Amino acid sequence: MTAFYVLDVPENTSVAKVAAEAGAAVGRVGPYFEITADESIVVDRRATGCRHAVWYSCIAGVAGGTVVQHDKDALRVDPA
Amino acid sequence: MTLEHKVRGVDHTAFPTFDPAGTVRFYRDVLGFPVVHSICAAGWGPEDHPDFIHFFFDIGNDDRIAFFYYFGLEPIHDQARGDVYAGFGPEVPEFFVRSRHLAIHVDDQDDLLEYRRRLDDSSWPVEMQIQHETIESIYTHDPNGYMVEFTRAMRPVTPQEDLDATLTIDALLDVVAEPEPSFGKLLARKAELIVERAGAWEQAQRELAQADR
Repeated sequence: MTAFYVLDVPENTSVAKVAAEAGAAVGRVGPYFEITADESIVVDRRATGCRHAVWYSCIAGVAGGTVVQHDKDALRVDPA
Repeated sequence: MTLEHKVRGVDHTAFPTFDPAGTVRFYRDVLGFPVVHSICAAGWGPEDHPDFIHFFFDIGNDDRIAFFYYFGLEPIHDQARGDVYAGFGPEVPEFFVRSRHLAIHVDDQDDLLEYRRRLDDSSWPVEMQIQHETIESIYTHDPNGYMVEFTRAMRPVTPQEDLDATLTIDALLDVVAEPEPSFGKLLARKAELIVERAGAWEQAQRELAQADR
């Protein structure tokens, strides 16, 4: 399984929302969004509307996966 | 055990200058920072210490930025990059040269733009204005080459950001204690700490809020 965590602050909520729209499950662990899927998770940056400083610092943790892309286009976390 | 936190901000931070006239123009005349203290000292001590003037500007909150001007001292390096204290050759990456800076806090965007106007009307115009994660900043370099930032919070810091910072630092200490630390290893360790501690933290916050009622 692929899982990554995003802190629930106003700047980050669109990251969880776009991940959910892309098919990932979005749960919670304390004040973090827990974003999980059996396969890869891809988040489109432009769909999130995040400015660069927010986008490049939005991941709090990665469990059971590896960040294989985190650039101006997308964030992609593949299963380990 | 938590150690009692008794300090009260920056008393002063001090830098050498070879250009006291430019320094006074920048801090006092352009930015409007009052001169609040100075020391005129004859050189003394075991080293061949030059006579010097140590002068202070108020940067708000009774905090101060201070400079040393040493009579007769020539610049100590001739590197093109860096500031008068530290020079860097072409082998040093630009992000590293630009990493050390002083950030001065303002209350809101009106005040940030007021300092932007003062700088833009001077010989030291604003070089960048950037919205970071939760703060907005302007940057310039003072006459000595020191990078100065003015910054305002775009929103208050939330309690969960303090938790996140704690988990980041604990994960960082774990990762740098092992060979070949990397961002990927930090994110993996931090995920473990989130699972271990974030749920309990939120429960404790809820109980605190109830106790306050």
